Amino acid sequence: MKTTLTTTLAVAALTGTTAFAHYGMIIPNDPMISQEDGRSVQLTMSFSHPFELNGMVLDAPVAFSVTHDGETTDLLGDLVSADVMDQPGYTLDYPLGRPGTYVFAMEPRPYWEPAEDSYIVHYTKTYVSAFDDDEGWDTELGLRTEIVPLSKPFGLWEGNVFQGIVMLEGEPVPYAEVEVEYYNEDLTATVPSELMITQTVKADENGVFTYATPTDGWWGFAALNTAPETIAFEGEEKAVELGAVIWVHFEDWAE
Amino acid sequence: MRRLLAIATVVAFASTAQAHQLNVFAFVQDGTVIVETKFSSGKIPVSGEARVLDANSEVILTLPLEEDGTVRFPLDLEVASGGMTIEVTTGEGHDDYWILTPEDIANGSES
Repeated sequence: MKTTLTTTLAVAALTGTTAFAHYGMIIPNDPMISQEDGRSVQLTMSFSHPFELNGMVLDAPVAFSVTHDGETTDLLGDLVSADVMDQPGYTLDYPLGRPGTYVFAMEPRPYWEPAEDSYIVHYTKTYVSAFDDDEGWDTELGLRTEIVPLSKPFGLWEGNVFQGIVMLEGEPVPYAEVEVEYYNEDLTATVPSELMITQTVKADENGVFTYATPTDGWWGFAALNTAPETIAFEGEEKAVELGAVIWVHFEDWAE
Repeated sequence: MRRLLAIATVVAFASTAQAHQLNVFAFVQDGTVIVETKFSSGKIPVSGEARVLDANSEVILTLPLEEDGTVRFPLDLEVASGGMTIEVTTGEGHDDYWILTPEDIANGSES
């Protein structure tokens, strides 16, 4: 069920709007690697407007790691430069040595966004299950900000809800704003209104948010907050947007 | 992801594995094949049997699970040259398998 709606993306593009959300992205070739799929996962890292497939430069991240069975491994030196959406990004072929959930996380360098007059730092992660073992699917990494999944972040059907807790500095964020966007990989999804490119939900008083996807594919959830610190740009202190991004794949319901 | 092969295997085994699916994993370390089993709930099977099949699907070994849900046996490179399949059936009527490919065997140890 790929959404086929009235107004095409071209209309959105013609408006020249910059209202679409930015997303750090970590996209595996498969969120659930079975033994028949092989013994590794291929990851693609980028920074983009994922619905429009509008890439931006992803500079060398500050940190890139994988966490499995309680152990975190630095993979920063293993990233391979690559063009993603016609912009610099990275890829990684990571061997899966044992069953369980592997959580890949990236802390990018602050991105200066003149249109928003602020810097953007999106702590980005995704969860990959190896060999039919989902142990560790609810792992909290302890990032400065992150979405801790309440729904298993793989093996979801299209139409399922995804729930998570928005965390900032180790605490839930009441009524946090969460932006949701579809990775429009083949540009087949269209929207009747720009308002629907990025959908927005708010968390409850416990920082818990819920979203039901209308179709299968990769969906990005970004909880946005403002850091207490600022970063200087051309001699002027600028605000820093902290994003907690998680990418979750929903599977096609095929009978 | 779409585990057609696995599903076909499960059907063939008439498995009843649903809520507490059995997971089997095996690797080679220092000349020993180590088989690990656990349910999706995280619990370890308290009983069960492992059957080791060669590349021609001939059963070459049958061993009971240890109390910790593992099975260990020496790697016979001559027999294992084409790979091995380890099928595990537990007393609870669950089953699963792991295929040790020639590459897995050549790598010789877990990552």
